[in-house]
Amino acid sequence: MKWPSRRWQITGVVLFALVAVAQMKAPDAEQFVGPPRGTPIAGDALDQRAHEIAVLLRCPVCQGLSIADSPSEMATNMKGQVRELLSRGFTEQQILSYFERSYGQFVLLKPKFSGVNSLVWTLPVFALLVGAILVVIKIRKLEQPPAQTAASDDDYVARVRDLVNK
Amino acid sequence: MNRTVLLVGAIIAAALVGVLYFALGKDPQAIDSPLVGRIAPDFALKAVGSNESIDLSRYRGKPVVLNFWATWCRPCWDEHPVLTQNAQAMGDRVQFVGVVFQDDEKKITDFLRERGWTYPTLVDDRGKTAIAYGVGGVPETFFLDKHGTIVAKYTGPLSTELLQGYVQKAMR
Repeated sequence: MKWPSRRWQITGVVLFALVAVAQMKAPDAEQFVGPPRGTPIAGDALDQRAHEIAVLLRCPVCQGLSIADSPSEMATNMKGQVRELLSRGFTEQQILSYFERSYGQFVLLKPKFSGVNSLVWTLPVFALLVGAILVVIKIRKLEQPPAQTAASDDDYVARVRDLVNK
Repeated sequence: MNRTVLLVGAIIAAALVGVLYFALGKDPQAIDSPLVGRIAPDFALKAVGSNESIDLSRYRGKPVVLNFWATWCRPCWDEHPVLTQNAQAMGDRVQFVGVVFQDDEKKITDFLRERGWTYPTLVDDRGKTAIAYGVGGVPETFFLDKHGTIVAKYTGPLSTELLQGYVQKAMR
């Protein structure tokens, strides 16, 4: 049997590789957050929106850095994914939901107003209100005239009062 | 007044100390996965050392141990023999799959050639699969039941005891 020429062998290998690449698929955001609900963007607008969303996402391998600020490979991959999703027309809410679905609320640098997280928003306001009320109560007490001191039976106090009144 | 202030202060201080005590004992990187209880995100990735693409869904019907690792991760070196030996011992009853995280295919091939392998290892291009699984570091292992539902996630290198415990859970 005659072997195919070298050119055909190379073409076969390339085609095989292309078919393999075409079969590869990473999990797609669409299967989790539905089809894109926005308009695809590109160019400077894409850069700007990608940065705005990147500052809202925490880098999972860093200490309190957003993916916009982190130089790690993980953050770079996540930023790449944010860009890709924006360029396909996914909205900010869909993109944040996609990352939250994988990492939980931990990944959101701005916690949602729900459940225990709502304390993050309400507690400072509550503490301010309580502080203001305490301050008002204290001021009112200071403004009140001092209560009449009951006449003391103490001789020493009586003598001091006499001396002062003279 | 002083007694009340002291009491309120003591309650607030005790609450803060309690929160700190429990928080300090936790690894901040060990995030509880919201994916536990959900169907595992499907993917088809290229197998290391071949052009074959392996689809996760092909393993539906039996439990899957899905391990994210990398050659630059020292704890993954310790974990590797645990996984390969258990994969061999469990045979067809459980499918092990490795997904390599932020690594170079040449290094992976060299690593596997040197230390051996008993199950497919896949390359995660630009970390998309790792992101979909909420991977924050390696090694991280997900245990899927026969329906493809994630029943557990473990962060850190697995021992045989831990691995077998989780596999039992996935087999139920």
